[in-house]
Amino acid sequence: MAAKRIIIGDSEISVPDKLLSMGVLPTIGIAIVIWLLLGLYSVGPDEVGVVQRFGKYNRVVGSGLNYHIPYPIETVKTPKVTEVKRIEIGFRTVGKNQYRTIEQESLMLTGDENIVDAELIVQYKIKDPIDYLFNFIGPELTLREASEASLRTVIGRHNIDEALTSGKLMIQEETKELLQIILDKYETGVIVVAVQLQDVSPPKQVIDAFKDVASAKEDKNRMINEAEGYRNDVIPKARGQAQAMIRESEGFRESRIKRAEGDVAKFKAIVKEYTKAKEVTKERLYLEAMEEILPGIDKYIVPNGEDGNLLNLLNLTGTKGAK
Amino acid sequence: MKRLFLILIILLVVGTLSTVFTIDETEQVVILQFGQPVRIIKEPGLNFKLPAPIQVAQSFDKRLLEYDVPPEEILSKDKKSLIVDNYVRWKIIDPLLFLQTVQTEPIAKTRIDDIVYSELRRELGTHFMSEIITENREIIMETVTKQSAIATKPYGIEVVDVRLKRVDLPQNNEESIYRRMQAERIRQANKFRSEGEEESQKIKASTDKDKTIILANAYKEAEEIKGEGEAKAVDIYAKAFSKDPEFYEFYRSLEAYKKIIDKKTTLVLPSNSNLFETLNK
Repeated sequence: MAAKRIIIGDSEISVPDKLLSMGVLPTIGIAIVIWLLLGLYSVGPDEVGVVQRFGKYNRVVGSGLNYHIPYPIETVKTPKVTEVKRIEIGFRTVGKNQYRTIEQESLMLTGDENIVDAELIVQYKIKDPIDYLFNFIGPELTLREASEASLRTVIGRHNIDEALTSGKLMIQEETKELLQIILDKYETGVIVVAVQLQDVSPPKQVIDAFKDVASAKEDKNRMINEAEGYRNDVIPKARGQAQAMIRESEGFRESRIKRAEGDVAKFKAIVKEYTKAKEVTKERLYLEAMEEILPGIDKYIVPNGEDGNLLNLLNLTGTKGAK
Repeated sequence: MKRLFLILIILLVVGTLSTVFTIDETEQVVILQFGQPVRIIKEPGLNFKLPAPIQVAQSFDKRLLEYDVPPEEILSKDKKSLIVDNYVRWKIIDPLLFLQTVQTEPIAKTRIDDIVYSELRRELGTHFMSEIITENREIIMETVTKQSAIATKPYGIEVVDVRLKRVDLPQNNEESIYRRMQAERIRQANKFRSEGEEESQKIKASTDKDKTIILANAYKEAEEIKGEGEAKAVDIYAKAFSKDPEFYEFYRSLEAYKKIIDKKTTLVLPSNSNLFETLNK
């Protein structure tokens, strides 16, 4: 097919003779149609279309197939407005579940001039696409620098113990707040969705000392628990012992009383008999008692009047075996 | 003739095109007429000027620009050395002044660097290290920002924000901090352990005390009860025996003999004792 070569600047285009032979007007017509078709564009579901006419902001369009007057009259930019972007401070995700710490970023001074190792994740998204596109350069860098500055400023407000334990949530909130203030000041059109303090730990140079504090705390609790255990062991036992003493004494009291009552009852019965026949009863009682006592024991019966020689008998038991 | 006409037309088209230009949302433009600034346009949109060789449009960024200042070592009021890493956000607010003084962004950045560094040095030099690290950091940086903005104004530049990204200590100071932190923790650990010891002793001692008290109270109560028993018994005996004390004495004596005299006892009895009354007869 015959063609004619046309040189425009550095490029060489071959135009079919047929096209040329169609004449100037149809060619221009086709060119205009092609140019007009260049204005078709689609906006993704997560995007918005920001249309500029002669460089000036003109309109925002939603997702779907759209049309703008082609370049150079109108241009379109399609930022992802629903996408939540993420910035990592102090570490980088290098693979699935693999992280690399960046000490230069993560080590920071606390308010009481100690050093902590803190890692932060910032999540943000575009709130105002117009501000986001036209107001500042380097979104990623700006977010990173502002996040880092915020975190360090906030950590600087707190002391190390707060940063390591109770104050984490507060630090997170304050960082988010400060970061948003900075971003608003720069009119970035960015909203901070979340700030997550990943891990705040003592620097590795001193981590053992910190761990020892934790175990000392454990030791303290253990010692207290042991003492409580001792108490829980000893006091009930003592109470038991006390109860035993009291019960025993009560038993003694009752037995003492009952015995007395018993003795008295017996005595009363005997007295009753005794009053009937005093001398006889007395004699009987005496003899009965002797009967009870005397069998089985050594007895020496000495004649009357030998009372003075009773001393001679004192050694009787000692010489008994010699007899 | 025909060729000349064609050239004329092309020139006309090019000339006309060079009179039309657009300004983006992110730009601002200075129109130079033979190198002489004649107009500043900050509004984006379609604009016109005289054709190319006569008027030229020079555009500048209108957005917030960044500058990461390299870390510097700065002395605080208490002569402590700090490594300060800060960044600057700035804007070209007067493109004409900017064009006349610094012309390009890289040159502008070196100016900003000089100014911010000297302001920072001056300001931080009037504060103690603890202030720089903690709460006052924001106030200090606001002052630095304000002072820097004033100093950069003649260049058509507005410093919007100077912010401390990092404040670190030089290596050897850092080590001394670590040593201090370590000592502090050791102290805390010791404190916890001694506190544990103390608490434990307290609890044990109070336990022992309580035990003693419990037992003493119990002893007291027990003795009272025993005494009560004794007293009652005595009372019972007394009431019964007082009716016939003579017989009681006799009776009780017999009872006592039964107990006193056991198998080990050797009894010497005179033959005239009551027992042998009959024997003697």
